[in-house]
Amino acid sequence: MKNVTKLILMIVCAISLSSCGYNTMVEKDEAVSQAWSNVENQYQRRADLIPNLVNTVKGYAAHEKETLEAVVAARTKATQVTVDAESLTPEKLKAYQEAQGEIGSALGRLLAITENYPDLKANENFKELQAQLEGTENRISVERRNFNEASKDYNTYIRKFPNNIISSLFGFEKRPYFEAESGSEKAPAVEF
Amino acid sequence: MYFCANMKRYVITWIVCIFLFAIQGKAEAYKVDDIVMVHLQDKTRYVCNPDHILSPATVTQINSILYTLEQQTGIETLVVVVKEIEGGDCFNFAYELGKQNGVGKKSSNNGLVILLSTQDRCIQFVTGYGLEGILPDAICKRIQNQKMNNYFAKNEWDAGMISGIRAINGYLDGSMEPEERENNESGELYIFGFIFLFMLLIFTLSYNIQRKKTLCPQCKKHTLHRTDSHLISRRNGIKKERVVYTCSHCGHTEVRDEDSDDHSGGIGWGRRGGPLIFGGGSFGSRGSGGFSGGSFGGGSFGGGGAGSRF
Repeated sequence: MKNVTKLILMIVCAISLSSCGYNTMVEKDEAVSQAWSNVENQYQRRADLIPNLVNTVKGYAAHEKETLEAVVAARTKATQVTVDAESLTPEKLKAYQEAQGEIGSALGRLLAITENYPDLKANENFKELQAQLEGTENRISVERRNFNEASKDYNTYIRKFPNNIISSLFGFEKRPYFEAESGSEKAPAVEF
Repeated sequence: MYFCANMKRYVITWIVCIFLFAIQGKAEAYKVDDIVMVHLQDKTRYVCNPDHILSPATVTQINSILYTLEQQTGIETLVVVVKEIEGGDCFNFAYELGKQNGVGKKSSNNGLVILLSTQDRCIQFVTGYGLEGILPDAICKRIQNQKMNNYFAKNEWDAGMISGIRAINGYLDGSMEPEERENNESGELYIFGFIFLFMLLIFTLSYNIQRKKTLCPQCKKHTLHRTDSHLISRRNGIKKERVVYTCSHCGHTEVRDEDSDDHSGGIGWGRRGGPLIFGGGSFGSRGSGGFSGGSFGGGSFGGGGAGSRF
């Protein structure tokens, strides 16, 4: 008799959990993690382009040492700031965004000085790198937008009644957003 | 009181200003939703040219290149040529065009959006996820630099577009196989199934009619054979003949008058079967009409492609 009561209780629990959206919460949470890894991939892609870019520029503008070193330094710093999708807090996201923003502005300065080197600008390799860099910046902005959308979708869902009861019970926490253009993070206009 | 009147005048001026601004804005810069997708009305058209910047001849030529491309590779293209876009961000505009209209097949994400804005002076390609490998950003950029920007700089929109699109076509041609039809158009499958069943029905019917003909009314066996016939009349291609049937089982003979199409030889199909079957067959050649609407498959974009200013 006791077993039967237990069984019924379990079934009732399972049904109420799924009807209160526990499973949907898990799905939406996963979607946010997925979106986050896409964002990281694109930032990584940009970081991977930097050594090649720096070497190409060095061949033509070796004495622009400071600017070149700034890019490399920003890259090294940014690769140390990694954020796990599970422990994505607003503070961590902000730190990540700032580190990546530094790469962005260092790259912006680098590309600005290349204007002074017509030979470099005519270099095929450099042209392709520029196109790739530009494409990567576009991809980053797309993935950031997708991440914010996934985050918003999830946050809205877990805060709705009665989902908020389940979400607080099982520790579903609000996910942060990328903030557009706050201070130093202002994405450089990469235009050629 | 004075303040009130002043206020009133101020408000009116503002309203007029906003109104004028709105009219001007509407006439000039396009929003993403303002672009009418001509492809949805006619599947052979890909070029949205609301400001008539390209000449009709150019549009026709581009349409035919892109139609062939879609037939051979399944790649869906959208070309938009406008004077000015709202916000002036060409990448964003082209990306939203692709995303909102779902350019490209859903499973292979092979959409391509080409945007030319003449007053913003920009050309932008946006490639779907599935095209990023085949048409990398660097190639997009190279095509723009080598084939398009020189013309665009001189405001030769027709020449630049054609030369660029030819280059893209040359690059993409043979790069992919179009998807199997059943993958994306399950509706087509139903129609073929329906036709098949319909034909099966007709065959069964005409077989039964044929079989009924051989039924001997005396011994109820299917042993009646045609032994003799002679022509009674021939009118409008329809033969009327008198046919003698003899049963090989009991020896019963029967004489029947029969109509038949002149070209169907003797025993062939009864007059009832023939035309019906041909009727069924003609369903199969459907879809050859040129003006049926096309569709975009719902492909997604990740920000690939390149743009340049001229």
